[in-house]
Amino acid sequence: MRRSAGNFFILVAILIIGSFIIFVPQKIMGQQNTGRISDLQLLARAINGEARGEPYEGQVAVGAVILNRVNSPNFPNTIAGVIYQPGAFTAVSDGQINVPIDPNSTVVKAAQDALNGWDPTYGCLYYWNPATATSKWIWSRQVVVKIGKHYFGK
Amino acid sequence: MENENRLRRNMKTFYRLLARDKAKNFVIAILLLTTIFGAYQYDRANRLQNHLNNTYNRAFYELVEYVNNVEVKLLKTLMTSSPEMTVATLRDVCQDAYNAACNLSRLPVSFGTLSNTEKFLSQVSDLSQSVAKQTARGIPMTDEQYKTFMSLHSFAVQLEKSLNDLKNDLSNGNLKWENVGREKEEDLGEASENMPATFSSLDENFNEMPTLIYDGPFSEHMLSRKALGLTGKEVTEEQAIESIGKFLGKNNINNVTKLADNRNGVIDTYNFKVELANRKDHSVVEADVSIKGGHVIWYLFDRPVSETKIGIDEAKKIGLKFLEDRGFSNMKDTYYLESNGIATINYAYTSNGITYYPDLIKVKVALDNGEVVGFEAKGYYMNHTDRNLEAPKISQEEARAKVLRGENIKASGLALIPTNYGKEILCYEFIGKLQDKDFLVYINAYTGAEEEILLIINSEEGILTM
Repeated sequence: MRRSAGNFFILVAILIIGSFIIFVPQKIMGQQNTGRISDLQLLARAINGEARGEPYEGQVAVGAVILNRVNSPNFPNTIAGVIYQPGAFTAVSDGQINVPIDPNSTVVKAAQDALNGWDPTYGCLYYWNPATATSKWIWSRQVVVKIGKHYFGK
Repeated sequence: MENENRLRRNMKTFYRLLARDKAKNFVIAILLLTTIFGAYQYDRANRLQNHLNNTYNRAFYELVEYVNNVEVKLLKTLMTSSPEMTVATLRDVCQDAYNAACNLSRLPVSFGTLSNTEKFLSQVSDLSQSVAKQTARGIPMTDEQYKTFMSLHSFAVQLEKSLNDLKNDLSNGNLKWENVGREKEEDLGEASENMPATFSSLDENFNEMPTLIYDGPFSEHMLSRKALGLTGKEVTEEQAIESIGKFLGKNNINNVTKLADNRNGVIDTYNFKVELANRKDHSVVEADVSIKGGHVIWYLFDRPVSETKIGIDEAKKIGLKFLEDRGFSNMKDTYYLESNGIATINYAYTSNGITYYPDLIKVKVALDNGEVVGFEAKGYYMNHTDRNLEAPKISQEEARAKVLRGENIKASGLALIPTNYGKEILCYEFIGKLQDKDFLVYINAYTGAEEEILLIINSEEGILTM
């Protein structure tokens, strides 16, 4: 009889623990991402998501493309507008943009250099990785600069 | 008493049943959990989907409203007779077109689908702003500008119509946001009948947009600027490597590899990877050398900076010396920014008491040992040229009299300032204070017009202007 009572409690326990596993993490996850991040931070996060592992110049170049879009009539007029434009960056679509970064990391320096005016792409508005690019449309762009694994175009 | 007994008996039976089917209970528990989990996720996904749809709907309906406003106010502008009214309606057009563009970029269309529409709205906003400024200065709209606004109005009417089609499809359920993103691929297939209106057909309205040239940052002429300061003949790869050697010091270089020929149309360059000599780590400098003239356009050396031992004043001197040694004389430091132990200092060209702000060179100085870890001269090579500036038509005193606000106004000489539309204006520069903040005011040296006001931001990280 004891054993059957114990068994019942195990069932209840599984239910309670199970519900915790299902419901609680989403609450915790929702608490991330508070506070305003500056343009530098946002730009650095975009570079981190898009060009981590690229040469330094390639990281600056991705930052420069974002800033070139801000200055182009065909794109939104703010850094946040460009970065969060639907479908513009895979690092935004898959949420990598929300990964916090160390303020001393290379991508922050690359973002700073891009903001200070270094533009290895000379005004390019697009980039893609020829090894993984799937969009036919992107191939209609003229390649202007090659840096690391990325092609840059206008 | 009897009830209690019966209850106890029932409980016993219940426990016995439970005990008998241990495994079965376990399965039931898992099934229950899965169902709860599924129901919860379904509900969550539904709520998120609704939230997304609402966000997209809001952006879309706001877009429709702003485009309606743009269309109406463009027409009103064309009806105005007094400059005050023209300025007022143009400012409205500018703002509504800007807001329309903002909302447009929030729609979940596949990337690039609405590029021409975005451009149309940006340029309408920009052009209205530019013509409003011109009108406020007493120069009425020219016939050509009037015709341009006429044609822009008919484009706005067309856009309104297309948006209305989409609006109908959206409200009768023919068009769903979750399908919109896939539009592009479907377009490649055969068009079926009763196809809902599409965003790509909306964008096609602007395939024949006229080229707009005006005094604004989004004007077409800004896209085709040429480098005025690039002198010399075409150089070979070997000569370019020679230039790098001179620039960075041959003793500091271990090896130079060309990575790419960079035919970008603005300043064609060779792109090099430079391995530095006598370093513990694998230290690499990335640099561009122009094919025309063999000038180093920029270089970057990313390395950690441990301890800052050098002050900003010394860094400024190091940067100046670096430039002088490489043939850039008459440079003056203007603003700087300090971050991660590196000072990025701006130097502008000066001559005959005039500061040429467009001719800008940036130098990065590492504050641990004073090494120059970055250089950027695109501003200089794009703009530096013999300008043959006319002598100012008004005196500094006359210009000073135009600055009516602020305290401690001091003149700091003549300056050639860039505009965001590529023109340069010769101005008198004045420094003054307001609310304890430093300001720069620029008064046109020919007309006395107030051309620019900059706020100087003096923070721990450096001195910048906004």
